Amino acid sequence: MRDLFKFGFNIRTGLWITIYHWAYTYWQDFQRLTGKPWQPSGLLSSGKIGGDTLGYMTIQYPEVKIITPERFRFMPMLIYEEEDGDIRCTSCGICAKVCPPQCIWIVQSKDSSGKTIPQCSEFYIDTSICMQCGFCAEYCPFDAIKMNHDYELSSFERHESWVYNMQDLLVSTTYYAQTHPNDWNREESARATKAAEKAAVH
Amino acid sequence: MPNKAVRDVVERYDDYIEQGDAPEGVWVGPWNNLIKSLDSLNGLYNWGRKSSIWPLGFGLACCAIEMICTGFARFDIARFGAELFRASPRQADVMIVSGTVTKKMVPQIVRLYNQMPEPRYVIAMGACATGGGPFKEGYNVVSGIDKYLPVDVYVPGCPPTPSALLQGLMTLQAKIEGQKLSEVPWYRAGVSEGFPVPVLGPDIFDPRQIPVIDARLSEQEEPTTKAGKPPKAKPAELPAPEVELTKLAAEFLRGTVGADAFRDEGNALIVEPLRLVDVCHSLRNGFGFDYLSNVTSVDYPDRFEVVYHIYSIAKGGAHIYLKVHVDRDDPVIPSLISVYRSADFQEREVYDMMGIRFAGHPNLKRILLWEGFEGFPLRKDWKEAYYEQEQKPFDSRWPEGYHVAAEDRNIWGKNVRYPQGWDPKTWKAPTDGTLVLQPEELSALSDIDTDKIILNIGPQHPSTHGVFHMRVLLDGETVVDLEPVMGYLHRNHEQIGERNAWLMNMPFTDRLDYLTGMGNNFGYAITVEKLMGSKVPERAEYIRVIMAELTRIASHLWAAGFLISDLGAFFTPANYIGEEREMILDLFEMTAGSRMMVNYFRFGGVAYDISDTFIAAATHLVKERLPRAMEELDRYVTANEIVQARTKGIGVLPRDEAINYGAAGPVLRASGVQYDVRKAEPYSIYDRFDFEVPVLYGGDIFDRYWVRMLEAEQSRRIVEQALRDLPGGPILEGAPRWSTRVPAGEAYGRVENPKGELGFYVVSDGGSNPYRYHVRSPSFVNLTTLAEMSKGHKVADVIGILGSLDIVLGEVDR
Repeated sequence: MRDLFKFGFNIRTGLWITIYHWAYTYWQDFQRLTGKPWQPSGLLSSGKIGGDTLGYMTIQYPEVKIITPERFRFMPMLIYEEEDGDIRCTSCGICAKVCPPQCIWIVQSKDSSGKTIPQCSEFYIDTSICMQCGFCAEYCPFDAIKMNHDYELSSFERHESWVYNMQDLLVSTTYYAQTHPNDWNREESARATKAAEKAAVH
Repeated sequence: MPNKAVRDVVERYDDYIEQGDAPEGVWVGPWNNLIKSLDSLNGLYNWGRKSSIWPLGFGLACCAIEMICTGFARFDIARFGAELFRASPRQADVMIVSGTVTKKMVPQIVRLYNQMPEPRYVIAMGACATGGGPFKEGYNVVSGIDKYLPVDVYVPGCPPTPSALLQGLMTLQAKIEGQKLSEVPWYRAGVSEGFPVPVLGPDIFDPRQIPVIDARLSEQEEPTTKAGKPPKAKPAELPAPEVELTKLAAEFLRGTVGADAFRDEGNALIVEPLRLVDVCHSLRNGFGFDYLSNVTSVDYPDRFEVVYHIYSIAKGGAHIYLKVHVDRDDPVIPSLISVYRSADFQEREVYDMMGIRFAGHPNLKRILLWEGFEGFPLRKDWKEAYYEQEQKPFDSRWPEGYHVAAEDRNIWGKNVRYPQGWDPKTWKAPTDGTLVLQPEELSALSDIDTDKIILNIGPQHPSTHGVFHMRVLLDGETVVDLEPVMGYLHRNHEQIGERNAWLMNMPFTDRLDYLTGMGNNFGYAITVEKLMGSKVPERAEYIRVIMAELTRIASHLWAAGFLISDLGAFFTPANYIGEEREMILDLFEMTAGSRMMVNYFRFGGVAYDISDTFIAAATHLVKERLPRAMEELDRYVTANEIVQARTKGIGVLPRDEAINYGAAGPVLRASGVQYDVRKAEPYSIYDRFDFEVPVLYGGDIFDRYWVRMLEAEQSRRIVEQALRDLPGGPILEGAPRWSTRVPAGEAYGRVENPKGELGFYVVSDGGSNPYRYHVRSPSFVNLTTLAEMSKGHKVADVIGILGSLDIVLGEVDR
């Protein structure tokens, strides 16, 4: 008898929860009027997750952009030194060998006598094959290839523009230091230590 | 602009804006722009078009998941007027080709496109839809949908994040803004012709190109192969529990079927083909090994070998590993379907991939490819159209790596190769496996006086959870019979995996079951570590468990949300759980760098350490936020009268059938079998945590839903404990290595993935690449039960039953 009485009430409970969710977003709007700045919810933007499961969590892209974490990976990029314009890549070929879909093509530079020198003369990444696994950046011994954060790359055409050559791939160390501050600091301090050790030996 | 007065005002206001000296009381701003955009009818027309682009509601692969996430509250595609994912192409404006386009799927996509009214737009989302992506070299993958349909916007990424898709949508809007009413083709006279639907012959071909193919077939180059050096093989150590069990099994079999039926070889039994059924019968009935987990085959130079991995539900522990040698010239062995029904689809897969015939199989036909496909792709002497070299890395990439697209190396300009001597003019499609009612089927139905029809559900149907296709024989609305048709997302994982080096397969496993990347990484890592004999550092083990269990929570919540969506509560529950999943994905993105394609595990550890921010956020998530979310889901779904009426007693899978059909994971446990790999054969450090294996006895849709919720709760507990006990120390055994050599041997490793038992079978010859790489996917084997469960129910219940199996097509088709 009691069950019969309860029949249908659970539907009401469910509807009540959805109405509550819906109304709560308006309550948040109301709160915003009082001057509390609105932040896109989510872990990465605020550093912690709100305890309640309710509310407004839309990121107003393109006005507000989701904050990408430092390890976020999209397309690879090649790094050159801001000061002297040197490209870090030595064309050792590890990235091309470890790449799972084999989307990296590298041409080693040669001097006038035909001897190979540690520079690359051509560097292609076919982004229509790239799977963004990040192996190239992970295993590069010279910190020369890293994963870019720029994901706003859609295009009307692909055959020309999706095969990135070296010019398309190059970014400065300043750009890299901005997108990857922690990695940059760690790598620079490691490099400084190494240089100091080398100076001490000489 | 029609009116001179208005034009004057606008021009004057433009000057104000330019010079920034608007007089007091004159407000210049968006209105001005609006008036300007009404310049002619074009502005209004384009504004209307671009603000209501309704996408076609179909998804192909991993990218579709990100497309669905774009529809969720966090990214909210509704802000762009594109939230109405239409189930019918007649009502859709844009086709978002989200994921890998396979040859088997192309005809359906072209058909859908032809059914869309003008104006119609196409967005190629992700690397696969654009140009083949990482699966480009696969024999069943087309190099971009633009080979078949005109594409308006390409969105790069693998997968593109939801923001990237929104940016692609804005690019399309920009394109629409440039339209002129006087020029758009769809208001001109004449009817636009449909695009020709490609045909699946020995390989895919365009019917208009028959003369060209006929003329140029002799110019087609056959691949030249170069035999590599055989690697110096160092044998891997055999796992002691397997060897011990094999000895016991051999002793038992000697007593029952006789010593002449098999040979004992370390951790395997080599069985005589003709005695196979006897041996398995005896193992099942007398020895308690009732669960055939994996069936696959290996192509050795002198023989084929069909291998079986059999487990015991009651005893738990290691497997019995059977091998059967098969003659290469006439490969026939008896089918095991009379002993283990779980062999059904797996034997068909072996037939499809390697051409080994199973005598006694009732329905032995191609399962992943189509009838009429030329050759058996996993044979070592079969080469794909884009064949370049036997093993990666390819020599052409370095040091003389001038970019050459694979299309340019092929005379057809696309990923096809036709057999020499094929005559396209006289070729006729085999009738089997096509999507229309067959004449013989029609005649068989005519003598029944009720209305019987064959209904094709899928492969692009939104409720089939991907590109899955069911042929359902209906009597009125009741299901008489059902046949699952799959392969529309067959991306050639195994063949690509055998070209890849060992480490390269790691990111490919992410794309198997794309909702549970961490779990797939786990399975592959422990399988290869079995051969390598690695010792994973303590901290890495804990991190692995944390990640795998967070994945399980995300996957189970997703499954619950979409099951309810299938039952008719469209999108609201899915949207709510989507919020929680986003939180978990944020944790993955922060640690591994990607939301779904994590590529996080390495042999002997993990790639990156977790930060203090991660620990704080994850602790908060599992202690505060997830319990509330799960409790709320429970409150508004579980007791709901409609959910109860639609799920209780529907699609019952009895206990014995569940075991015999090889069902795994929540499907098995909802049928009263308390079997969980984490307890039955603990891997990693699962023996250290305090958790239960929930089991329910109804075997219906409701129990499968409810057991998932209970499991998510247990996973939450495990994460809580692991975060509490997380030790310090290294996260990787030794230094990071980009090239790995694996000792020679064979290993079958399995993990309890959210969908069930995920197994990897690898054969190493001691080189840098796997000799054989096979994935035992739980979704694929679970589908064996679908027909049995659906019979006698209404067609609407079939959708629910399929939803309760929680399949992911990336894993079903691989």
